[in-house]
Amino acid sequence: MYICLCLGVTTTTVQQAIDAGARSTKQVEKACEAGSVCGRCRHTIRTMIVAAGPDPPSSKPDRLRRRWGRT
Amino acid sequence: MSLVLAADYRVPDFDHWWAAIAGDLARLPGLGAHIVVVYRSLQDANRVFVTIGVRERGPVDALLRSPVMFSWFDSAGVDEIPPMFVGQVAEKLNLDPGTLEARPAVTGTGSPAAVIVGAIAHVGQLDRLRASIHAAVPRLAASGVRRFWIYRALDDQAEVMVLQEIATERQAEQWIHHPDAAASFMAEAGVGAYPTLFVGRLVQTIKLPVT
Repeated sequence: MYICLCLGVTTTTVQQAIDAGARSTKQVEKACEAGSVCGRCRHTIRTMIVAAGPDPPSSKPDRLRRRWGRT
Repeated sequence: MSLVLAADYRVPDFDHWWAAIAGDLARLPGLGAHIVVVYRSLQDANRVFVTIGVRERGPVDALLRSPVMFSWFDSAGVDEIPPMFVGQVAEKLNLDPGTLEARPAVTGTGSPAAVIVGAIAHVGQLDRLRASIHAAVPRLAASGVRRFWIYRALDDQAEVMVLQEIATERQAEQWIHHPDAAASFMAEAGVGAYPTLFVGRLVQTIKLPVT
């Protein structure tokens, strides 16, 4: 799905930023620019951050594999 | 090939939005849109699921950032832009309860009493999903599933939007709570950015003039 319509940033790209450790909309914006134009997608980005949990996902690989079907 | 844009979101006031939608519809052909289908949730009167069929005219990015697209949400009073599914039809099946066989879908929107169950989810391998759906056709039809439409996302080959038309509300409820193994993707709806399962009815299919 496309999260940021202004820049055409997808769920996959935002998730990669979160997987790399971004834990705020500002950090996601810095990583992939999503939310940097009109900012009206930040609610969705926040939802994805919350779903990822408070810890860097690299420390919980099994949980993320279940969530996103990644190996 | 046509693109399908879809979004699941809440409007502040469905009746107000619906009464004023003509102005928005008039702008959509500028995007190359030729059809709009609006569904309304059974559980939340202000939640809608909208699909827009677009004749492919250029880059998706340009389509999404078009002022027409933002105007669609602005005039509905939607401040937070929902995630947008962009994809193409992978398969449309009509499940005939008489023969318990699947056949390619013909045009049309089905019975107005039917319930639509919409899911956008990550399914891993689309081919595997399609195979399991084909194998489960008799069971799906017996459960009241009348149409099973699968759309493949452009940006992620493992992401799909599935629209299932189910004959009655009671059967839809049963199907959601006790889905067939072939419909296990429904459990993935609501994860992360994906909207929760949409359960609603068709409001209207609107064909737009070709520009």
